[in-house]
Amino acid sequence: MRSTRNTAISKEYLQHLEQKVEDLKILTEISILISSTLDLSELMTLVIEKAKSLMDAEACSILLYNKNTKKLEFEVAFCREASATDILKNKITLDIGQGIAGWVAKHQKVLIINDVQKDTRFYQEADKATGFLTKRLIAVPLVGRRGLIGVAEILNPRKEKYDNEILEILARHFAIAIENALYYKESLEKERLKQEIEIASVLQKSFLPETPVLHKGNVTVSAINVPAKQVGGDLYDFVESVEGKLGVFIGDISGKGVSAALYMAKIISDFRYLSHMEESPALVMNSLNDILSKAPRGMFLTAQYALIDILTGDIQISDAGHPPFLLVRKKEVKVISGLSGPPLGIVSEAYPVSTYSLNSGDRLFFLTDGVFEAKNREGKRLGFDALLAFVKKKRNDERLIEKIADYVHKFSKGAEIADDLTLMELRFMKDEE
Amino acid sequence: MNIEVIDHKGKKVLTLSGEIDMYSSPELREELMGILIKKVPALYIDFREVSYIDSSGIATFVEGLKYVKSYGGRLQFFSIPKGIMDIFKFSKLDRVFEIYGNLDDAINS
Repeated sequence: MRSTRNTAISKEYLQHLEQKVEDLKILTEISILISSTLDLSELMTLVIEKAKSLMDAEACSILLYNKNTKKLEFEVAFCREASATDILKNKITLDIGQGIAGWVAKHQKVLIINDVQKDTRFYQEADKATGFLTKRLIAVPLVGRRGLIGVAEILNPRKEKYDNEILEILARHFAIAIENALYYKESLEKERLKQEIEIASVLQKSFLPETPVLHKGNVTVSAINVPAKQVGGDLYDFVESVEGKLGVFIGDISGKGVSAALYMAKIISDFRYLSHMEESPALVMNSLNDILSKAPRGMFLTAQYALIDILTGDIQISDAGHPPFLLVRKKEVKVISGLSGPPLGIVSEAYPVSTYSLNSGDRLFFLTDGVFEAKNREGKRLGFDALLAFVKKKRNDERLIEKIADYVHKFSKGAEIADDLTLMELRFMKDEE
Repeated sequence: MNIEVIDHKGKKVLTLSGEIDMYSSPELREELMGILIKKVPALYIDFREVSYIDSSGIATFVEGLKYVKSYGGRLQFFSIPKGIMDIFKFSKLDRVFEIYGNLDDAINS
């Protein structure tokens, strides 16, 4: 009698053990399977197929949580009608707390509903849109290391007996696999963007003068350009478009990134063309302004165009809202803020021109705002006054342009270069001196 | 950057605070163009709490300005802090935008 009862208990226990072993086998199998891919859509299909066959269900779906919109969106659905996924993906989103999936997302608890149609939480629209009839439903939250990822729903499962604990472990595995795949997708996207920016940066450089130093007559021009990490919109150019004169152009396009790089390329080619068509810097600026007024998204350009007589040192400068330039002499440094119009591309304008006569030994320093708006590690900006003080101190240094670049570089050491930095020096030196 | 849209006696006022740079200007653009698309006769921008604006921020307002001009509306700035005003003057943008000392001056202009 005693021994019979023991046998009965053992049989039950054995059956239980067998079931556990079977569950664990499936669990291991699924774990191996889902860690075999980092492709999100492949993974989703695997997950959903397994869940469907495991529960012998009519349909399955996964809704992912979109952190930006704070809504649940259908990522994938499996049922007889293949079109259901498209319908759900395009038409249905759920707020957290809305519908059964929304409830599960909010409370992060498994929900098993045996008569869905009687449940007030049930959101009818998904069934209406797909023509599916949901009777029974198991909804499982997918929670990863970084919080809620989404909700998996198993619709009309025919299997009556299943282990809740196994279901939860499976959901956890799925969640982590999905999280890994999402993370991988994000890093691929980041890498692609990084490469695009690198290409834009190379492209941008190719439009600048081949050599940063040019000597003509009594004039020597040189430039330093340090592009920002994000690819800014600084540009400069030297042109010999007018007989006996040398033209120097410096500009800064609003905004950054690939769009600014592309626009910079267009502006440089437009400028080169116009500088050959018109002699006066003001007329070149007027024409460039007309072209730029069609720029998208309010893009504009601050710029200075100077045309210098390479023998006499007489110089004409037209300015479009660009920062002032510096006149550096042995005994003084002057901030020159001549006549100016607003930046190019905003309003119709007749740009003025200022004329100066340079003495032998005079140096002009043109710059973009990236020079004095450079930030240090504490987020403090250098400022125009600090820059001016430095230039005054070093005014007799032969390599002042490099010294300024070094000074800004040292100031912003450890901080990201947020904006392009361009410095251009124009030196007038008569031969006899 | 923070954006607040206020109704002041039937006038739309956009109150901004913080730094308007390449990171925050897309949000500003969405808000600004979202209002202007309804062709409001005038939109008032409160700069009192703005600590910095870069060229992408200014470009956003240039886009807004070009749009309001296309239908004969007005974009009016007021309470611009000195640091920001210096940037505007520096680049001659004070000749491009309508700038007022305070909201009442802007409304009565």
